[in-house]
Amino acid sequence: MRFPTRSVLPGVVAVVLLATGTAACTYKNSGAQSGGQATPAARTGGGAELGDASGTKVALVPGGAHPYFQPWKTAGAAAKKTYGLGAVAFDETAEWDQQKQNNLLSTLAARGYNAFGVFGVSPTDINSTFADLKSQGFPVASLGSCPAGDKDDADFCLSTDVQLAAYKAAKAAIAAMGGKGTLVHLTGNNVDANTQLRIKGVAQAVKESGGKVKLLQTITDIDTDLQTAQKAVSDLMAAKGGQITGIVATAYNPAVAAADVVKSTGSKAKVIAIDDDAKILSGIEQGTVTATVVQNPVGQAEIGTWALALLQTKQCTVRSPGVEVDSGSFVVTKANVSGYDKARQAKTAQLKQEFADKILSCG
Amino acid sequence: MTTSISPPDTVPEERTAPHRMPFWVNQRLGLLVLVIALSVLFGVLRPAFLDQQLVLFPLLRDVATLTVVALAQMVALSVGHMNLAVGRMAAFGALFAGLGYDRLGLPMQVGLLLCLFAGAAIGAVTGWLIARTGVSSFVVTLAMDFALLGLVSLLYSALTDDAAFTTHPSGIDQLRSYSLADICAGPICGSPAVPQIAQFTVLAMLGLGFLYGCTRIGRELLLTGANPAAAELSGVPTGRRVLLAHTLSGLLAALARFMAAAGTGTFRASIGDDFMLPSFLGAVLGGTLLTGGVVSVLGTLLGTALVGVIRKGLDLLGVGLESLNIYLGCVLLLALSADRIRAVVSYRKVVRST
Repeated sequence: MRFPTRSVLPGVVAVVLLATGTAACTYKNSGAQSGGQATPAARTGGGAELGDASGTKVALVPGGAHPYFQPWKTAGAAAKKTYGLGAVAFDETAEWDQQKQNNLLSTLAARGYNAFGVFGVSPTDINSTFADLKSQGFPVASLGSCPAGDKDDADFCLSTDVQLAAYKAAKAAIAAMGGKGTLVHLTGNNVDANTQLRIKGVAQAVKESGGKVKLLQTITDIDTDLQTAQKAVSDLMAAKGGQITGIVATAYNPAVAAADVVKSTGSKAKVIAIDDDAKILSGIEQGTVTATVVQNPVGQAEIGTWALALLQTKQCTVRSPGVEVDSGSFVVTKANVSGYDKARQAKTAQLKQEFADKILSCG
Repeated sequence: MTTSISPPDTVPEERTAPHRMPFWVNQRLGLLVLVIALSVLFGVLRPAFLDQQLVLFPLLRDVATLTVVALAQMVALSVGHMNLAVGRMAAFGALFAGLGYDRLGLPMQVGLLLCLFAGAAIGAVTGWLIARTGVSSFVVTLAMDFALLGLVSLLYSALTDDAAFTTHPSGIDQLRSYSLADICAGPICGSPAVPQIAQFTVLAMLGLGFLYGCTRIGRELLLTGANPAAAELSGVPTGRRVLLAHTLSGLLAALARFMAAAGTGTFRASIGDDFMLPSFLGAVLGGTLLTGGVVSVLGTLLGTALVGVIRKGLDLLGVGLESLNIYLGCVLLLALSADRIRAVVSYRKVVRST
């Protein structure tokens, strides 16, 4: 084959044209703002009682549809009623695509929503989205997940500390295994910053065992749906079930699948799950699941909506913009399965106090 | 523009159709009318639809990116092939841009060139495999998709802490947020609804329009798609044209990925995972044939815009997740049925008049 001059030439021309375009056509922005949040100032004192918030319309926007976020819907509706907000919307149409989520947020802004609680699809990209919303004057909270890295461009982040929750789950698994054995970690999308944090949390707990516990395998990318997770866990048990003494699942679908498969195969592996799906709770009661690490989505939505309303009405500002607050994670075992929700409610009340006393500055 | 090559067994147009079809039968015109009609409808139902900063700017930014994705598919379709690896080729190209910015501190333009080169290179490898082995493009690009899925994830995991390159080269944030309102000639400025990132889409469209409409290579690409055997017998180097089509497809996919990364903030493995479906949707809605030989550059833009407008309008109407895709499908079916009915009615009118 001769050198394909005719094939290459159009490509070269296209590259030169495109490179010329980007060099030539980026000009300075006027940077106009359209929103209406006050510039954060060092206001101090006063309580955090929300006054008239009928003009506040809060949008709670998860990254996509997932059972974890369903409590946001009811907690948001309850907060609207309790605090007399203009509206609270729960919109899960972002379909786990950052670009679609960005579009959705701007559409909600066009519909009149003026405060946003967002679970970013991509923790590494979401700061750009927050910066966009803030530049238009809207208060923004990062709910359920904080941006990756040290910087947070939202007003505040109220989220489970995912690395700590994974660490707690792995510690609980190791304790249930008697401090030795072989552990498997089941989790979500490998190319997601939160998954990397979960992997680090589990690795830290395994390292602390001093070599007595071996991490046999970390299985990623199985949180897409329950069927995928069930197949992966079944294959795992068929291939290495005899060696496995503990399973820690740090994503929703793998947790439910692990509970199912261990129950159906009669495996003796100790399962530590995440969240409080009915199957997992029933597994704890029956003894097929040793424990689960429960998060606090209700607290995230309730406190997040309330704090956003205080910011939107300019009654308060955030003392340290970008502050990260742990919304809490709780290890639930057979001993406390019937009463763990009280601990969660207490944590939510404590969070409200913490926001009023330490996070917000109202005057 | 729609560009096509008649298969050799068809009779020249002037002998069979002395009466030209009326101008309003033109598919692109139909799409344009649909896009405008739906925009007006949504604008009336929700005046916020016409908000330049909050609605039109992000809508056009999305349409600009997805049009380039659809053009990447259109180029493969022009030779009667398909590119199922369009998303992964894009990811592969963008990986090099991210790496260049993060590790080598490259300026934005150099990183873009690296991204385009990597995309073109992987496209060329795919095209070469198809041309040399004669294996169906469906199989080769599907295999390439799987291979790149693993490779790109592996490289991101190995090279980064958060599975993303987060370095922002100078100028990329401006590319993301600037509009024509930031370009002024004296007191006159452009529209704040039109994103500057659309410059890439315009350049890609102009380049492809010129290639398919004005060059011999373009006509050879279409002939290869319409009838590869006839093309071969006519002296067209079909192997090289297949190689060119896939090289351009990879290059355009990488460009789309660069635009998507600029639009969201960082270069990560997962962005653009769902490029494949919109790539076919935009191209086919716009009039490009799945069987090859006919492409429409402008139609691809209009097809992509139609889907974007419907989705944005439904978002503004507050349609929930359960209903969004049902409505999207229904509106698309209605829109295309109306277009088809219009074409059939006009065809019958022409037949009656003859």
